[in-house]
Amino acid sequence: MNSFEFKNFYILTIQVILAFLLSSLIIILLGASPLDVFKNIFNGAFGRPEKIVKTLLIFLPISLASLALIITFSTGLWNIGIEGQIVLGAIGATVIAKSFLGENALSPLYQLIIGVSFGSLWGLFCGFLKVKFNVHEIFGGLGLYFVGSGAIIYLILGPWSKEGIASTSGTDIFNKASWFPTFSDLNIPALPILIVSVILILSIVFLGFTKTGLKLKATGTNPDSTEKFQFSSGIYIFIAFAIAGGIAGLAGVFQASVFHHKLVPSISGGYGFLSILIVLASGKRIIPTMLLALFFSAMIAGGSQLQLRLNLHSSLISIILSSVVFFWLIVNSEVLKTKLNKLFLKDT
Amino acid sequence: MELKISKISKQFGSVKANKNISLKIESKKIHALLGENGAGKSTLVKIISGHYKPDSGEIYVDKNKLELGSTLSSISNGIGILSQDPLDFQNLTIKESFLAGSKKFGKYFREKNIEKLLNESFKKYEIKLDIRSKIKSLSIGERQQIELIRLLFENSKIIILDEPTNGFSLKQRELVFSMLKKLSNEGYIIILVSHKLDEVFELCKEATILKNGSKIKTIPIPYERKKIVDLMFKGDKSVNKIKNPISKIKKDNMHIDLKYYKKGIAKIPEGKKIGVIGLQGSGNDQFIKKIFDKSISITRIVNKEREMLEKENIYYTPSDRLEKGLFSDLTLIEHMALSDNRNNFINWKKIKEYSSKKINEFNIKGNLNSQAKELSGGNQQKLQLSLIPDQKGLLAIEQPTRGLDLNSTQSVWNKINERINDDICLFFSTTDIDEVWDQSDWIISFSGEKITDISEKKNIKKSDIKYFISGVKNK
Repeated sequence: MNSFEFKNFYILTIQVILAFLLSSLIIILLGASPLDVFKNIFNGAFGRPEKIVKTLLIFLPISLASLALIITFSTGLWNIGIEGQIVLGAIGATVIAKSFLGENALSPLYQLIIGVSFGSLWGLFCGFLKVKFNVHEIFGGLGLYFVGSGAIIYLILGPWSKEGIASTSGTDIFNKASWFPTFSDLNIPALPILIVSVILILSIVFLGFTKTGLKLKATGTNPDSTEKFQFSSGIYIFIAFAIAGGIAGLAGVFQASVFHHKLVPSISGGYGFLSILIVLASGKRIIPTMLLALFFSAMIAGGSQLQLRLNLHSSLISIILSSVVFFWLIVNSEVLKTKLNKLFLKDT
Repeated sequence: MELKISKISKQFGSVKANKNISLKIESKKIHALLGENGAGKSTLVKIISGHYKPDSGEIYVDKNKLELGSTLSSISNGIGILSQDPLDFQNLTIKESFLAGSKKFGKYFREKNIEKLLNESFKKYEIKLDIRSKIKSLSIGERQQIELIRLLFENSKIIILDEPTNGFSLKQRELVFSMLKKLSNEGYIIILVSHKLDEVFELCKEATILKNGSKIKTIPIPYERKKIVDLMFKGDKSVNKIKNPISKIKKDNMHIDLKYYKKGIAKIPEGKKIGVIGLQGSGNDQFIKKIFDKSISITRIVNKEREMLEKENIYYTPSDRLEKGLFSDLTLIEHMALSDNRNNFINWKKIKEYSSKKINEFNIKGNLNSQAKELSGGNQQKLQLSLIPDQKGLLAIEQPTRGLDLNSTQSVWNKINERINDDICLFFSTTDIDEVWDQSDWIISFSGEKITDISEKKNIKKSDIKYFISGVKNK
């Protein structure tokens, strides 16, 4: 192991230890035992096979949203609108599930096509505003997210309201044919797992081994130089938004048809925003992002256990997670890294 | 007044940046520190300004000994540095930037007094600027003039200029130089750090030549140029006369459509080097860019038919290397991968072999994983050149050697000259009369965004060019 890798490794260790210390401190302040909390979270996430499946169901959309964000971040874009793209994907899935196709055995396939297209279009729209009208993607994305979440409330209370009474608890449960097929008694979502694995591999190949991926990165570092290399930064911004929006849309489809089996107002679960933190904290690299996404999913899945067992409100998890990320980013900063290096690696 | 530097040495790791340097600089004699990149000029300047602490040695201003390594001590002894890029606030007006930046006025001040002071010094040094104009509307030369005034307001008595004329037009240079001469006559000590002999001869009365961290000699100016070059490069093998190949084969004429400049069609044979000269901002760089984006169309004979030149055969490099020519955060090898047009999948192993070959061939000081922004200007330019495909094409190169030292300049030209015989032709822009004269077969002159002359070099004299570029018709 050369010294560079060693340095990264020990900084990671410090980060993990500090993150645990910090969350323990928060837990102690709230009057509980950190050991109990961590044990319960772990059991809640991985304790029994069906719990692992639940963790996985949370991991799928988070990992997709994170991959989508890695692509836009590579292109130098702050795709805050990812939440909106997830919402549109879920709306796309519901369009199919609520139509005559919803009883068709191929409904999941149609949902994938429409949901991905909806998300992709929403992303492209944001890119269009940026390239053609010079609207910063943060504002464009946020605006489009508000439009999307307004639309979802309207749809749930209006055209897609429950039989008899409209309620913000969501639409009726989808027809069984619109659920994604699962296997074994544990309801393992085999198809979504397969799809996410394929997208994961494709992302690694796309960003690491294709010229298109490299051009996205080039556009992100310096759009003014693209003219000399005879490609247009605008087109690559579109490409990034189209791909990221599509992947986010897929996350939305999974949220609607794999997790909830219906459309609910908070269909995105805040996973888009959470993924922004995950991607930033893991330095926009794919594998660390996936690991961190898994960790976060486990925390969220295990967190629901806390209320039951320890009488702690499950929002405690959000507090812990966000403090951990916050702290993580501080430790990750170059300034602190240099200082840590000085402190612990005096000879190098 | 005098500045006395005594036995200064400074070592960084294994590199001896300054070796036992002693010299004396007096007022009324503008002094040049001459030397190639890496000669130790910047280190010495940073020691004088207090940014570096030398390993040994002393510095005196008159009888006062400087506390070395303390910028505060240097400033309070009247040492002021004018850096290459003016450090100013783009969005403020000239007056506001003085209010914000100068300690002279204290916490409480009256705007009227400041206006009066500023206007007085502007008048004294013949700066024709309105103190209410925004800094960003000024040229880089004007901004350096303002920075000089600021140094005076900070009570600097010793002014060190670190390669201040990068990006200057001739006229801006004259303005700044005349101000410096005036200051020198008033008793200020002026030190010019440079590797450009022309400006040293124009401005200075004395020069100290540094090489590899040691002082070679202090000489009076004027001095025989050839001897100075010999002193600067003594022992360097790489400095050969630039090879300038002459093609003997008769080639077809290209037709260059200049209707944008209301000039009709220029006919120039293929395989030639066409220098486009003009002052900064005269439109000569834009000419090169227009060839690239085909606003100027060029036709040539291919298989006995006259054909328009395709964009993929035009190889262009802009003068803003890092801003428009390269991707600052991408590595060398990533740049090579981007320039490889074969297919969408990247075979990193192949690219790696290819890149290593190119890095060697172009003698780029950096490794495969160096980011473009980590390279020096010369190496960035070599990287740009190494990205040009090997296939025959038209080279359109903006300011090939801007800001480069002599060594890099020569290797850049050698690289271009190696291939130009097999290329369609070379268009390059420059602001340097020597360069255009040495390197071109044809010369296009620009003044005020207009073409003032197009001639084959053998039909004009070198001394004509300065008239062409200043827009004076009468030779």
